[in-house]
This record gives sequence, C-alpha cells and structure tokens, in this order.
Amino acid sequence: MKPLAGIRIADFTLHAAGPFCTHMLSQLGAECIKIESAARPDIFRKSHPVYGRMGPASFDQVAANKLSVRINLKDAKGIALTKKLVGASDLVCESFRPGVMERLGLGYATLKGLKPSIVMVSVSSSGQSGPDSHFAGYAPLFGAWGALGTLTGYEDGPPVEMRHAMDHSVGMTAAMVAVAAIHRLRQTGQGSHVDVSAREVACSLVGEALLLAAAGGKPSRIGNDHLRMAPHGVFATREDDRWITIAVRSDEEWQQLAQLMNAPHLATDPRFATESERHRNRRALDAEIETWTRTRDAVQLEQAIQAIGVAAHLSCNMRDIAEDRHLRDRGVVVDVDDTEGRKRAALHVPIRFGNAEVGIERGTPRLGEDEDYVFGDLLGLSTEERQSLVDQQVIY
Amino acid sequence: MPGTVAELPLAGVSVVEMSRGVAAAYAGRLLATLGAETILVEPPEGTALRREPPLLPPSHQSSALFAYLACGKKSVICEETPAGRAELSALLAGADILVHDLDTSQRTSLGLDEDTVRRRYPNLIDTSVLPFGAFGPKAGWHGEEINLIHASGEGFLLPNGLSAELFPDRPPLKIFGHFACYQGGVVAALGALCALASGERKGQRVDVSVQDAALAVGAFALQRLGDGSLEHRHTRSFKYGGVLQCADGYVELLTLEDRQWRGLVKLMGSPEWALDPALSDSLERSRRGTEINRAIRSWARLERTADVVARAQALGVPMAKYSNPAEVVFDPHEGARGLFEPIEIPEAGRLPVLVAPFHVDGAPLALGGGPPRLGQHQHLLQAQRRRRVATAEAT
Repeated sequence: MKPLAGIRIADFTLHAAGPFCTHMLSQLGAECIKIESAARPDIFRKSHPVYGRMGPASFDQVAANKLSVRINLKDAKGIALTKKLVGASDLVCESFRPGVMERLGLGYATLKGLKPSIVMVSVSSSGQSGPDSHFAGYAPLFGAWGALGTLTGYEDGPPVEMRHAMDHSVGMTAAMVAVAAIHRLRQTGQGSHVDVSAREVACSLVGEALLLAAAGGKPSRIGNDHLRMAPHGVFATREDDRWITIAVRSDEEWQQLAQLMNAPHLATDPRFATESERHRNRRALDAEIETWTRTRDAVQLEQAIQAIGVAAHLSCNMRDIAEDRHLRDRGVVVDVDDTEGRKRAALHVPIRFGNAEVGIERGTPRLGEDEDYVFGDLLGLSTEERQSLVDQQVIY
Repeated sequence: MPGTVAELPLAGVSVVEMSRGVAAAYAGRLLATLGAETILVEPPEGTALRREPPLLPPSHQSSALFAYLACGKKSVICEETPAGRAELSALLAGADILVHDLDTSQRTSLGLDEDTVRRRYPNLIDTSVLPFGAFGPKAGWHGEEINLIHASGEGFLLPNGLSAELFPDRPPLKIFGHFACYQGGVVAALGALCALASGERKGQRVDVSVQDAALAVGAFALQRLGDGSLEHRHTRSFKYGGVLQCADGYVELLTLEDRQWRGLVKLMGSPEWALDPALSDSLERSRRGTEINRAIRSWARLERTADVVARAQALGVPMAKYSNPAEVVFDPHEGARGLFEPIEIPEAGRLPVLVAPFHVDGAPLALGGGPPRLGQHQHLLQAQRRRRVATAEAT
C-alpha cells in the first residue's frame, strides 16, 4: 500500500511550486483532486510560445497523477460546492497570493470551522505574514531575495537566475512539512495550517552562508570552487561541451589521482602537497587537470576516476539523464504515455520504499475528466444537479 | 519577534542520526525543528561536518555549516567497541527513525546491514541517503555536491542569462553551496515521514539518493526534452529582463504577463522606444529581446536597487533585489516572520540562525537549542541502556 493511501487533497495550486508539492503527495498515495475552471485553467493547458509550445501540453509532469474537476470560484454556488469537497478532504493545498483564499471565503479559519481536522498548505512568494507578503514573484525572484541567486555565479561575474529547480525545491519542502502535518493528523486528529515561503526556502538552501554573514564573515560568489577541496571543478574533455566534474577530498585521493594521470611530477610538487597548498594554488592545479582531461573521453574519465575511489561524474544533459541505466534501474526515470499516445521519459517521486510501490499511475488529466467520480460518487450529486450546475456555469 | 508554535507536529517522535554529509544532516535537522528528539551519533573525533568550512569568525573554531545543520540536536559519542555498539543498539531500539549516510561496507562493519536492522529493530524506519542511493549500478559511487548537481542535470544548465552571455566559453557552473545535498535532505525527511505517517512501519526501508532528489526538482528540463527541446544554458535565458545591474547592486526583473510589461514601461518613465505599438505583442517582444535588453540595461544602470524595487512592486512589476546575505539576515520582512532565532553557538557566541522556511499554525518554529558540543548528551546513552535493561528484566 502507498504510504499516503486514504489521504485526499483538494488542490487549488497553480503554476509550478504548489503543483509540484501535490504531485509528490499524489505519487506517495494521496488522492489529489485538482480544481480549475475553463475561465482559469492552469498554465500547462494553454500555449506557451516562449517555449515554442503552441497548444496545451500533451504531458505535464506536475499535473500528472492528479484527478481534475472544474469549479468556478467566482460564483457563490461554486464556493458552496468547494466547501463540500473540502469537507470530504483531509488536505487543502493552495498557492494564491496571500489573502485570496480569504476573499473567496475559503480562508483557513473558515475551513477549520467547517472541518476542524483540515490541514491547509499554503505556498506563496514571501509567506502569509510580514510586510512583503503581498509581493509577486517567480523562481528567479525567490533566488534573488533569498541570496541563493546572489551567491551563485563566477567570482568575477554577476548573480545567476534560479529557474524551475527553485520552484520545485519550494514544492518539495512543502510536501515534506505537509506529511509532518499528516502524521500529527493521524496521531491526534489535529488539523493545521502550513505556510511555506518560497523566498525563505531559497534562504534555507544557503543557511550556513547567512550564519557566516551574521557573524561578520563575507560569503561571496566562488564559481565552481570549494572552500576546502582542490582539485574541485568542471573540466573540458575531448568532445566539445562535454564536461567532467571532479572533487578530491583528501591528500590520499590526490595521490591516487596523480597516479591515474601518470603524473609523478604533480604527486611530488610541493605546490600541491597538502590540501591547503592545493587550494592556494588551485588555478595552476586546475590547468594541470584540464590538460589531462582535455584529450580524453568524459565517460571513460568518469569510470576511471570512480574506480580509484575519487568523486567524479559527467555533466549530464537531459538526454543523458533520460537514457541513464542507474536512474532507470532505480525507477526514478520511467517512460509514460502522453495524451497523444507517444512515449516519453518522466520522473517518479525520488524515494524508494522497501515495502511500498509509489509513483505515477496516470498521466495529465483532461479538464474535468474526473467529475463523475468526484461530484457523483464522492459528493453524491445527482446527474440533474450536476447538469444544473453546468448550465449555471458553476461547474465550468 | 513573533511567538512560536505551541505543539510541534513531530512531538514524541525519536530520531537517531548518523551523518557525515550535508544531506543526512539536513534531514535530521528538519525532523528536529519539526519537533522530533534527534540524537546525532558521532565517532570520538566528532562528525567531519564539525570541521567543514566556512568557519565562524572571529575565532574560526566553529563550523557555520555544522552549526546551521545541528541546531536543536543532541550529541552522543558511540565508539566502535562492544560497549559503544551496545549503547547504539539501545538507542536504536527506542527510536522511530534512523537517518544515515552509511554505505554498505560501513553498515556491515557497524553491524547495521539492512537485514540485521530489520530483524533487531522491527519498528525502526531505516532511512538511507547516499550520493547515488543504496541500490543500482552506481550505488557505491563517490559523489560530492559538484558531481551530484551535474549528475542531476541542473549543473549543465547553469549559468543562464547575463552570466552565460558574459562568459559563453566558461565551464558550466554549480549552484552555490550544497543545493543538491539539501534537496537530498528534504527528500529523506519526506520519505521517513511518509513511512511514519503510513502506520506501516514494520521493517520499512527508505532509500534516497541525492542525485534523484536534485533531478526531481529539475524535472522541468526533462519535461522539455519530452516536448522536443534539449535545454542548454545558452538558449534557456529569458528573452529580456533577468539580471540587471543597477548603480548599487543587481536586481532581477521578470515580466511574463502583458500587464507586467505595461507596468515596466511606466516604471521606466514611458520612454519613446517602449511605446512602439508593435511591442504590445508578447511574441514581438520576444523577437526583439536583444534590443529591449539593451535599453532596459542602460536604464537600470542609473537606478538604485531599493528605490527601483519599491516602485516596481507598487506597479505590479515582478522585481527583486539580489540581496546579499547580511541584508537577508537583517531584512525587516524576515524579522517580522521570525525566520532567524538568536542561538548560542560554542566558540562563536550568540548568533541568528535560520529556523525553517515555513510556519505552522500561524507562527514560526523554534530551534530548541544551539548545535550540541561533542558528546554533550552522553547521559542519554546510560539512561537508554538502563531503560532497556529494566524492560528486559521485566519481561
């Protein structure tokens, strides 16, 4: 049985961060009911010309595995229907700007009054409280506010924009706290309101640098350098734009690597004798490493360096990932069918349980695909009642 | 300073952590901050993280990384002796969750291989978080942050935007610090909590890989591959906006919607070039991104960050300052939300430490103490053993 079997989510999240949270929970066994409307569908149902997509997505990772219903939240009857659905759910997840759920009459206090055990998960740019809580934001802005983007970059260059990995980090953290709240719910019957701030998730990923700054230190952009290890970096190989990453953790590992490089002069060079000397002379060391890697094949390098117990890996593009034997064997990369019947690589929840199968069981739902089950079986609406709500554009 | 959560979600949960790396340590930290009693089991010389840079000034005796990761935990030393193993065994017998980054050979030498754990501690959730996981052809591979962020695909895609434009020939760039390992930590905590919440703990094993976790949050690039595009750092930049250099620092600007673009035009004082009716079409703006960027960048150079961000947000234009770390620590918004808690750190003094990026029930959580001194809670071992002996005698 999946670990979250029996948990039902009324899912109001849109875009990336919030939907990723409920996508994880749904793969872990929760039944996730995605609420949209024809007037306000999620972005993957629309074209996205910037990405060259001129129609709806035929597969959308973060929408996969979810059930879909239409409810018009601008209509009082839609809100009444939503409250019925919340009454039949354990979790409510939303990613509107703070205040929107209250304006809709669906704030935590109201829902708690309706169902005291409800767990509400709110994901927003800057959190539900504080002077900036109304700020609009996207992933690159979270990274900017939270210093993660400020600290990422070449030593002599500008900050770097965080992209979807930032959004999904927020969703992953939200999923983790949601399950902590589910644990308490199952133990004590107590509901809760979880408030995840995206910019604070960016902060949490550089917590040690923030502490250093608080103590008067000056954390700064250091490119691919490490504060201690050398060699440590990304090196060119024989093929254009094919890179190998190497991290040497100790003097013993350095000796091993020098031997593999067939470079006894480096093994005995006093500039590279100790970790602190190697770190001080890391630019010279990097040049020596790259002279060696530049004439070799990246995958062969990776194998040879791993074989001597030193950390190395190819810098993977997504085609490498899609075809990777290790990731396939772990069941993390899988093939799914899209709505047009084509196969494509997708990702399963990145957790393997000893005695539970988790993952994607169905693809991206059509808008309103699961209304028979949700409105009919679950909420007990008759065909006539549903038709009437459709005619009134409540189910719309 | 706001009040803190009265009753924590994981109150009553007991965690044993055996960590050398950031991922397992962060998993333990999240569980501790959510209310679990988290006991860090260390060798006599202490976990390597205690010595990992950056070190805190002025004494440079205390690791900022360890301090951040260990707040609220308890520390005990277990030696690799029969007595030490018996103490560890007593701890595990009373725990709900074991979170660790032991590889197969270390597990065997500690008498903690999967089968033994399942047999001797049938109710323990055995949570492993390794660079490439505990299963699969690369299970035994070595991986540090820089290897893992590239093994997950995100490394190859960075930098983008201005940085990629300025340095097109440089190698791809990792995200600062321990991004991939932190993801591994969040996922390991998620996995352990799923097993806990499921109520089906008997012999439950949780296998997490940092590579998988970092790949999961990079899912969009695989989505794009399925859509027919192989993403690359040189082509995935926004067509205009992004990182802008101002007179006193950098800001991020991202206008995805038409109304945001109109707000931006107003923000710039409605310059003539921006009033070109053709630019009201988003596709046309994408096509003329380079030209727009030239104009936006020269405008931004004369602006001051705090002022321009305030004006932008008032006009509904998504813009943020690239805050430096000290600005984040003393940010009024984060102060109001209680993101940081002043904590006593051995050899470094009282410093604000990030608590957690979320509130529960309308209030921030609390750290429940600073990073422990090595072996500070050794008395817990004796107490556990006494309890165990008493239980054994009673049955």
